[in-house]
Amino acid sequence: MRLRLPLDQNFFGKGLVVLLAVPALLLPTLVLCYIFWQAAPVLSWGFVVGATESAGFGMADGIFPQLLGSLLLAVMACVIAAPFALSTALYYRAYASHRQQRLLMVMFNMLQGVPPIVFGLCGLVVLVNLFSWGVSLLSGAVVLAIVVLPLLVLNTLAALERIPQQYSEAGAALGLSTGAIIWRLWLPESGINIMTGLLLAMARALSETAPIMFTATVFSGVVWPDSIFSPVTTLQTHIFYLAQEGNDAQVTTIAWGSAAVLVLLVAAFGLLSRMLQKIGAH
Amino acid sequence: MVADLKRKRIVPLQQGVALPSSPLKPLSAPPLQVEQLTLQLGGQSVLQALSFTLPTQGITSLIGPSGAGKSSLLRCLNGLENHWRGSILVDGANVRHWRGGWDQLRRHIGLIAQKPVVFNASIRANVAFGLQGWRTRRRAEALIEQSLHQAALWDEVKERLDAPATTLSVGQQQRLCIARALAIKPKILLLDEPTASLDPRSKQLIEQTMLQLAETMPLICVTHDLEQARRLNGQFIFICDGRVIEQGACEQVLDQPQAIETREFLRWNVCDCD
Repeated sequence: MRLRLPLDQNFFGKGLVVLLAVPALLLPTLVLCYIFWQAAPVLSWGFVVGATESAGFGMADGIFPQLLGSLLLAVMACVIAAPFALSTALYYRAYASHRQQRLLMVMFNMLQGVPPIVFGLCGLVVLVNLFSWGVSLLSGAVVLAIVVLPLLVLNTLAALERIPQQYSEAGAALGLSTGAIIWRLWLPESGINIMTGLLLAMARALSETAPIMFTATVFSGVVWPDSIFSPVTTLQTHIFYLAQEGNDAQVTTIAWGSAAVLVLLVAAFGLLSRMLQKIGAH
Repeated sequence: MVADLKRKRIVPLQQGVALPSSPLKPLSAPPLQVEQLTLQLGGQSVLQALSFTLPTQGITSLIGPSGAGKSSLLRCLNGLENHWRGSILVDGANVRHWRGGWDQLRRHIGLIAQKPVVFNASIRANVAFGLQGWRTRRRAEALIEQSLHQAALWDEVKERLDAPATTLSVGQQQRLCIARALAIKPKILLLDEPTASLDPRSKQLIEQTMLQLAETMPLICVTHDLEQARRLNGQFIFICDGRVIEQGACEQVLDQPQAIETREFLRWNVCDCD
């Protein structure tokens, strides 16, 4: 039987796409499976909530201080970045001219492309040394806030873009000022989507290591920071330090355990943002 | 959208130059007078030297083919578009010098869009949405009831004022929009095809509401429905290609149109006025 050419082309085209797509889906899945396989011997509730201040640089005990440090840094970074991101997005949408909008968009896209280690270096010079904040929670959170700011602005803009234009026009037709439209229409309407963006920014902050390495973290010795000027330990840098002890099998397993917890944490923020997105859609 | 509004302020507002309630205004100034109104959007001429005057009360039906500039005209009058040329006088005062700026002008000239836009809030909150100050909004029970009565919606919603406005039918939502616009007590009301795609019952209710309102204030109603224009009576303005082709009393224009373009439009619903 003679094959029809369009079907033939379709078959090969589809085959090629699947052939290229499978590794893209399979490889990350295999990596995740491998992480959890390696982490399985240490993964337990005690491992997650266990904490001692100094013993073995966190090698023998649980990873609670590191988990806490990571969360504190991510939350603080987003708390610092959120008002600036919201104001920038509102300025962009409500007041900026077309030229300013183009300029802002180019700037934020460029900022997103800057390697985070560069921000870390600036943080070390300016915040840690010049401002004398030292290696601290505050220095790390400010640097992380700068890293996540472009993402947060773009997410907030996307949330504001979802508000139908008729809404704003209906408000304006009632004589509402720009401020009233922002306060009474835009923010209530986009609140959930802005929160979704905030959670995604937290997930991004959790996955950053370079900018906090020399601005916020120490190897060990901290469970709960005394103040915002105290350093913290984080999961990201903890994995980095443990990985350097590659010859010790037990230490490597703890590194895998920490990695698994970090992946779960990032996934939890991602899932939470998806849930909020669904609520927002309703 | 607000950014667009801001950007379009090519001619700056000179607040306080002339007030609508100024003692210098002409004693018999019409509620709305449009002179040589010209609007260009994206390099395209939308309104071309358009002039007309509104009577102190009654309905002015604005008729014309799609793309004639009817909705753009309403947006100019309400201040949503404000980079037009010419003059718009409200009670004898130039709207560019309106006290309180464009926001206050929009409170004076209410606009109701073709598609009802209700906010994600209760029916009560929607009616009170345009009121200034949260205390005013909280103590606006009487005003809410009055506005809903005026919009012929009170009997249908009085038992469920706290229900979400989105649960209303499209016809009810359109009347809610009318009530919301009336709550801020505009002196002129503009309606952009308010009964388009509504069921006959809702259409009838809205027409009744418009006729009642027209006893006390001037209304401009954009419509494609010639029979509706006849029922609403009042003034009739036929617009084509951004120009006023013919205007006069509704019965007179519909029964004895003078311009050939009007005759063509009334007979075949086409307009070739180039």
